[in-house]
Amino acid sequence: MQCVFLMIWKVPPEASTIDIANSCFPNLQFYEIIMQRLSFDFPASTVNLAKIGELAAHAGQKAGFSNVNIGDIQVAIDEACTNTIIHGLEKDSTRMFQLIIQWDAGKIEILIHETGVSFDPESIGLPDIEAPLEDRSAGGLGIYLVRKLMDEVKYSTDEDGVKTLYMLKRVK
Amino acid sequence: MNITETTQDNVSRVELEGRFDANTCGTVEQFIREKIKEGMLQFVLNMEKVPFIASAGLRVVLVFARELQMNKGNLCLANLQPNVLRVFEISGLKNAMRIFDDMESAARSFND
Repeated sequence: MQCVFLMIWKVPPEASTIDIANSCFPNLQFYEIIMQRLSFDFPASTVNLAKIGELAAHAGQKAGFSNVNIGDIQVAIDEACTNTIIHGLEKDSTRMFQLIIQWDAGKIEILIHETGVSFDPESIGLPDIEAPLEDRSAGGLGIYLVRKLMDEVKYSTDEDGVKTLYMLKRVK
Repeated sequence: MNITETTQDNVSRVELEGRFDANTCGTVEQFIREKIKEGMLQFVLNMEKVPFIASAGLRVVLVFARELQMNKGNLCLANLQPNVLRVFEISGLKNAMRIFDDMESAARSFND
């Protein structure tokens, strides 16, 4: 014989998640962290880079970053999206990638999901930034900037072939 | 990206206006390539109205600066906004490139 228990929590309409958590676990202190999130589907075209830069600046301001760090976030998101558009999706504007920008007071997270050409960022050699002009390579600067300007950068691919670039920067 | 150019004493003064990213770098590249084909060897890029640069823009100035240097020419940059200068600095191009505070200092450097 099978028994099914149905548990119903009756909550006053004005109770917040924090109130509920505090009443259930009186020995613990819960804090509310409000994370804002923007999600967009963009076609693989560099035409949208300026718009993406504006979105990053808006989120960076809301998260409390300085103007210098907002500039850094704009460079990182531009480089990451450019790589996705040019290398991952081969500038085919009929294909889309998903850009998620989420932030709270203290950090910003940027995720790019796409199903394009496989890419191993570790295979890109870092540029020799001390080299004189005649010996400088023009490649590899984009990934170098992303790694330099953000606090965390991770690449992953799930079993369905969806590739994700995750970047995080904390307000200091 | 808007580009305006004047030539004075065999120096091409190129004023750029707009973001210098993967979407616009081709316009700048094509413009400078045409000028080199016409025989121009000395350039100053006025970056006063460039609010943003990405690695695609860095690549264009790096490639032309290197190419012109090998052909006894020169490419200088002037009037960089602080956040643009920061990208050159982080990329290690601030010291590798010829960067000046204003157009006159940049143009004068060709006579040195």
